[in-house]
Amino acid sequence: MNDVVQFESVGLRYGMGPEVLQDVTFALDSGSFHFLVGASGAGKSSLLRLMYLAQRPTRGYISLFGRDVSTTPRDDLPALRRKIGVVFQEFRLLAHMSAFDNVALPLRVANVRESEIKRHVEELLVWVGLKDHMKARPSTLSGGQQQRVAIARAVIARPKLLLADEPTGNVDDHIAQRLMHLFDELNKLGTSIVIATHNEAMVRRSGRKVLKLAGGELRVLDNVADDDSDEFASVFAGDRGRILL
Amino acid sequence: MKFRFAGPELPFARDDTTRFLPWLMAFMVFLAALSVAGFFVLGDAARAIDRGIENTVTIQLPAGDNVKADEDRIAGALTMLRAMPGVASAEALNREKIVQLLEPWLGAAARSTEIPLPWVIDVRVDRANAPKAEAIAALLQPYIPGVMVDDHGVWLQALLRAVRSSEWIAIIVVLLNGLAAAATVVFVTRAGMGLHRETIEVMHFVGAHDTYIARQFALRASLLGLKGSVIGVVLAAPALMLLVLLMGNLGFGLLPEIRLGVGTWISIAGLVPVAAAIALVTAHTTVLKSLGRMI
Repeated sequence: MNDVVQFESVGLRYGMGPEVLQDVTFALDSGSFHFLVGASGAGKSSLLRLMYLAQRPTRGYISLFGRDVSTTPRDDLPALRRKIGVVFQEFRLLAHMSAFDNVALPLRVANVRESEIKRHVEELLVWVGLKDHMKARPSTLSGGQQQRVAIARAVIARPKLLLADEPTGNVDDHIAQRLMHLFDELNKLGTSIVIATHNEAMVRRSGRKVLKLAGGELRVLDNVADDDSDEFASVFAGDRGRILL
Repeated sequence: MKFRFAGPELPFARDDTTRFLPWLMAFMVFLAALSVAGFFVLGDAARAIDRGIENTVTIQLPAGDNVKADEDRIAGALTMLRAMPGVASAEALNREKIVQLLEPWLGAAARSTEIPLPWVIDVRVDRANAPKAEAIAALLQPYIPGVMVDDHGVWLQALLRAVRSSEWIAIIVVLLNGLAAAATVVFVTRAGMGLHRETIEVMHFVGAHDTYIARQFALRASLLGLKGSVIGVVLAAPALMLLVLLMGNLGFGLLPEIRLGVGTWISIAGLVPVAAAIALVTAHTTVLKSLGRMI
């Protein structure tokens, strides 16, 4: 089996509340590229949290890189997490560390040599246009710059699975296209990518597969055209004001 | 452009929860140092008492009106005692020695001729075969009415038990201090984990092992413990020296001279690495346990 992610009848509820995800079943192949769409509150972030091992499901089966997450020993979870890059919607950069150190973090926890860290991190920060901000603390960076630092941190360790929550939400068109190009390049190198987004134009333009969440249920669409156009458009209806592309 | 990684990922420098840890550790190490010193002093006292218990019995003979008659009775008593099985030796103390013995209790009055001082015979017995105090009294009573036999072993045993109990109390106090230090570290570490939850989560998401995170907390706690314990020992040293000086001035005749030997000071200094190790292990364990409850 070549599935990077496999969900079977996964359900998730918080406390005694209603299920935010119901019977979610899907699989992501190695090297796949999906957009995750859904209205606000549809459960996109919850689905991503399950995929980056921040949350255990209430029920169902989740496998990452062929390993049953529920039976994976705790000591083996870091190795799984190192195969996953995450771009958080709220960036989650460490405020007390420079942009360089934030991006270097995944390599440092993996005990990569400092000389290698320096070379890779500098190269990547130059690539995302932050050459002159390597020493800057996140609080001194704009939202777009912080987002690029967060993306650089997510991809620095060449993850096999990249999960991004609204990665182009705070950047201008030019940077957004560069970031999408970066994601494409990573994807060509074999990284499976899931991007949660409200950016309708980006999804339509890409022609990529879509994971559509509605009412806690997931549908996998080969492309936007497979969906009822009105239904698909309704996913974005409330978010048009936020779309930059 | 040269970059240098400034330190651990967790921003402990901004952490108010650890501000008082060194002072709490200092206080506990200070108390532990006093207890350790007490343990050694009590040990010396116990050994001195133990030596006293070994084989001495004191016999008091009431002084009569005629010194010559008293001396004859003492000579007779000595002859009887030396012939008694289990008695190794029997010697009468001279007047000056008796006065010296009583001076700590009576002061200058011990030298007064107004006070009739008893005669005293110091008997060394073979402890394995020692005659009972009652047997000695029964032997001498017909010859010297009013004779009193004091077996030091009886009350010295009680004193020794009290001293040994105090030694245990000193040990227990040291252990309780260790437990209190560990509990403080647990509390501070948990508070720190709450404060740095966001950073810990991010570190987890990028693949940090629990031990990687725990090591940072442990090293921090250990450094603070080291700092606090050095302060505690530095404060305890002059306090102990002052205490020894004051106790020495009391001039107790009952207990041996109070002094803090090299072994005592080494043990007190040993509290520094012990406190640091307690902080290190406790913080590491606390973090691992807490992280174990996270996904």
